[in-house]
Amino acid sequence: MNMTGSAILYSAMVGGLAGRESTAAMYWEGRVALDSDVAQLRRGDLEALSTLLTRYQNRLYRYLLRMVRQPAEAEDLFQQTWLRVAEKIQQYDPRRSFEAWLFTLARNLAIDHLRRMRPESLDEPIGDSASGETAATRLPSREQPPIEGILQRERSQRLGVVLEMLPVVQREVLSLRFEEEMKIEEIAEVLDAPLSTVKTRLRRALERLRVIMETSYPGENWQ
Amino acid sequence: MNEHDKIRALLSLAAADVLDPGEEKQLLDHLRTCDSCGAELEKWKLLAGGLRRLPTPQPRSIVVERARAQAQIRLTEEIEHRWNRTVIIGLLVFAWILTLLSWPLVRLFTGGVLGMLDPRFNHAWIVFGVFTTTVWLAGGAAAVLLSMQQRRERRLA
Repeated sequence: MNMTGSAILYSAMVGGLAGRESTAAMYWEGRVALDSDVAQLRRGDLEALSTLLTRYQNRLYRYLLRMVRQPAEAEDLFQQTWLRVAEKIQQYDPRRSFEAWLFTLARNLAIDHLRRMRPESLDEPIGDSASGETAATRLPSREQPPIEGILQRERSQRLGVVLEMLPVVQREVLSLRFEEEMKIEEIAEVLDAPLSTVKTRLRRALERLRVIMETSYPGENWQ
Repeated sequence: MNEHDKIRALLSLAAADVLDPGEEKQLLDHLRTCDSCGAELEKWKLLAGGLRRLPTPQPRSIVVERARAQAQIRLTEEIEHRWNRTVIIGLLVFAWILTLLSWPLVRLFTGGVLGMLDPRFNHAWIVFGVFTTTVWLAGGAAAVLLSMQQRRERRLA
């Protein structure tokens, strides 16, 4: 069956609008469900706590892992964060974003932990100089296997390793923006910093990341 | 810093989708006439795309379940703690009201309204004052000791 150009354009537009509407509807349904779970948690509903934990478990753990880099420490902080949620939920202001509040709790715990365990890591340079290891030696091999899927995985792995080499303040801002997909205002709330500071940190983090990637893998496609 | 350098500084932020409308317009206007910035923006977008596609590490299920169980226990404790606090405050207010009302009421029923207005600072008043103070001091001390003990138990747990 042949369709005229305008018919194709019309169906694409209608399809696009319908798709956008359904995405918006899903977003609002998600928001309403989240608000309802948070309100129930404030009333002491254990089931709501469980639902929220399930909802945020991967994102929260990923963020903590980006902060402290050690899975065992991230797991410990993950548990502590949920204990803190249970303790402080009455102090949560429902007008604020729950997500930003949750990540703020996690961040405070992670920063306290780093300050206690590895104070040098809060203003760390690239790499772990104490072990004599350099940025280059920590990178995976440059030899590329032929299969595209494996290549893609390897690129991601390299990017992940380079990301770990950035200082914690740069790692966290990249993680919040690109992995957690937070808006700049939400990031500012989590970091308790002005928007301009967040933008500067983000820009510097990206520039540093790119310099390391270009130095280590010249001419590579990072996608 | 010339116009070109200013735009270069915006490219990474454009790839991160965090430009404000003014900066976005400035960038778009510049990109219409500058191919090198367009190419540079594409590089930033590739890097941003790579960051967005980083694999998501997942916590072990045993850790999630432990966190869930511990948080639920803590929430239950917090609810219980809140309830206890509300009951204690209610009882305190009730006890104070009872204490403060008892003497005027006794005077009202035994000596009439005029008798109530004349407290007559005599032996009975002193006994009443000493008794009330002793009871409240004992109650306060008990509450402090109880709270210290609870805090110690919580720390050990």
